[in-house]
Amino acid sequence: MLSHWRQYLAISPFFVVFGVFSFFPVFYSLYLAFQRWDGMGTMEFVGLQQFRFLWTDPVFWMSIRNTLVIWVLSTVPTLFGALVLATLLHSVRRFKGFYRIALYLPNVTSIVAVSIFFGAVFSNNFGLVNAILGTVGISPVPWLSNPWLIKLVIALLMTWMWTGYNMIIYLAGLQAIPTQIYEAAKLDGAGPVRTFFQITMPIMRPIILFTVIISTINGLQSFSEPQVLFGSNAANPNLGGPGQAGLTTLLYFYQSAFVNNDYGYGAAMVWAFFVLIMVLVVVNWRLVQRGRKS
Amino acid sequence: MDLSRRGFLQAAALTAAASGLTVACGNGSGSAGSKNGKNLTLWYWGGALSDKVVAEAKTHFSGQVKLTAASIGGDFKQKLTTTLAAGSSVPDITGIKGEDMASFLPNASRFLDLNDLGFKEISSKYLDWKTKLARSEDGKQIGFPIDIGPTALFYRADLFDEAGLPTDPDKVAAQAGTWEDYFALGTELRKKVPGTYLVNNISSVFTIAVGQGTERFIDRNNRFIGDQDHIRTAWNTAIRPYTLGLDAKINDNTWNAAIGKSLTTELGAAWHALDIEQAAPDTKGKWRVCATPGGPANQGGSYLALPKQCRNPEEAFKIISWILSPENDARGFADAAIFPAAPAAYSMPAMTGGDPFFGGQKVIEVFGPAAKAIPASYEAPADAAVMAPYFTELTSIEAKGKKPEDAWKDAVAQARQIARRQGVK
Repeated sequence: MLSHWRQYLAISPFFVVFGVFSFFPVFYSLYLAFQRWDGMGTMEFVGLQQFRFLWTDPVFWMSIRNTLVIWVLSTVPTLFGALVLATLLHSVRRFKGFYRIALYLPNVTSIVAVSIFFGAVFSNNFGLVNAILGTVGISPVPWLSNPWLIKLVIALLMTWMWTGYNMIIYLAGLQAIPTQIYEAAKLDGAGPVRTFFQITMPIMRPIILFTVIISTINGLQSFSEPQVLFGSNAANPNLGGPGQAGLTTLLYFYQSAFVNNDYGYGAAMVWAFFVLIMVLVVVNWRLVQRGRKS
Repeated sequence: MDLSRRGFLQAAALTAAASGLTVACGNGSGSAGSKNGKNLTLWYWGGALSDKVVAEAKTHFSGQVKLTAASIGGDFKQKLTTTLAAGSSVPDITGIKGEDMASFLPNASRFLDLNDLGFKEISSKYLDWKTKLARSEDGKQIGFPIDIGPTALFYRADLFDEAGLPTDPDKVAAQAGTWEDYFALGTELRKKVPGTYLVNNISSVFTIAVGQGTERFIDRNNRFIGDQDHIRTAWNTAIRPYTLGLDAKINDNTWNAAIGKSLTTELGAAWHALDIEQAAPDTKGKWRVCATPGGPANQGGSYLALPKQCRNPEEAFKIISWILSPENDARGFADAAIFPAAPAAYSMPAMTGGDPFFGGQKVIEVFGPAAKAIPASYEAPADAAVMAPYFTELTSIEAKGKKPEDAWKDAVAQARQIARRQGVK
């Protein structure tokens, strides 16, 4: 092993950076979860107190509910839309490159810019959507103050951003399926819908599993979207908008730790949330796997 | 890219040198060894100080020290906290926002006591209530007041005229002396000029109503008092415009589009005038300003402080007391609408002129007396955190139609819980 020291040296920068900026902070935050700390003064060991607070904090549970609702509202259309788009794109003959770039573009746009744009488009009083609805005689819809519509707008934003990303992954999967299988299906007289559900879907299962897990992790970490959408509200910054309907768990964590200077509580919160994400990933994995065994 | 071995080595050497240099610079400002350094850094955020005055300070003190001013963007408090916690690359002089001051006070030992450097002798030049807010329990003065935010009532005089209401600031102030009077005036205005609102949202009323008192959410003995009468009264005041239908319920960023159109009056601090001016430039000359219903309150306003690591405390103090002298303060108001914390500035020509946006009104006649009459209140470190649930519940009333009584109960329960988490009894 030592004889390969040059190779290890060559790959070491990543591990050094990872250790300093990722590995150490992760475990330091675990240590912090048992302390009370305002960021500057002395730390005070409080045992499990932070977790007890967390257990009885209605805002924390509400933030979890918000996160889950936003996650479901965004992941389902994202993955479904991505699969449909990928299938369409797979059969397209001309301008393939253009479509791929056009559909992937939303994902590389800055979340902050997109959120500001969505905020303007869905604005209650002067937004584009309400203006269009107004021309056909529909009264303005309170997109950014109704608790459900707030979640819908955030989910829509995330769908818009992530559909193209998942589509590219699906497209890669589709292209790996040998054409002979499709030819055989055609000879047996299977239509396009039947082919999709009986051939494409089963073969794509591992890829779908991958995107489901990635989407779970990404979707549950939604933070910038509500933060920017409701950030300029001077009386109520970083609280997730009217009625805290857009308060995701990570936004609540940010608010507790960095706005309220309650770092210990913030650390406890993200660790509890980490456990939740792990549980959901396992559940997802089991759900997608189950079909395969039967 | 085709990189030759020599090219690669050169690039690597340059990168290493550059990173070494950065590290060296970083350490440079962090070393607390010498206390008569020649290089001083100043951190502030855009609009905290007059850029002209800062630029002049650089040349004014160029004989003694080299002053480097950095306008720090983003979350200023977060960056300052991180730097202070790390203990290196700490600025020699730093701004602290008024609303963050309370949370820095428990760590007063991280800053120099300005009284030792001579603030004691000149403190009488600055508003006492403002100075007090930057003093720790054991009497250490960590903040030098830059500006304050005395509140006032801004209103569209032309629409008041249309509604047959008085337009003269003194008369409006007399007719809207208390909150109830003000809401009565608003009801009348709405009858005559349909589609207008009095307040943008009820949270803004709550903020000011709380600020008009001498007590906030946590008392000096570190006890939670957010469920007591003074807060309940402020809460009830905030609910009134909602029940009277005078609340525009603007809780998103569409305020810009509403101000001056459907929103005919606005409550806010002196610096808010600039926001109105920028959002509604075509209403120039139609606005007037008068005293806040129920008395003045303070919103915002910042400080300069010297972290313990300051490399030349004497010179640094000279610089900040020069930048914040009443003369330069008055210029700050003219340059950047920073309302001085030094009352002597209020009678200087830079501040006594008429403001064309307010139809030539001498606004200092409203803000000056308000600044001096702001009640001194104790602000606990956890105050801002404890206040947040009240805002949340007020927006819930507006957005979801939540019953005010339920909202009050939830706000108090939530505030009590946050207080307990932050170590309040």
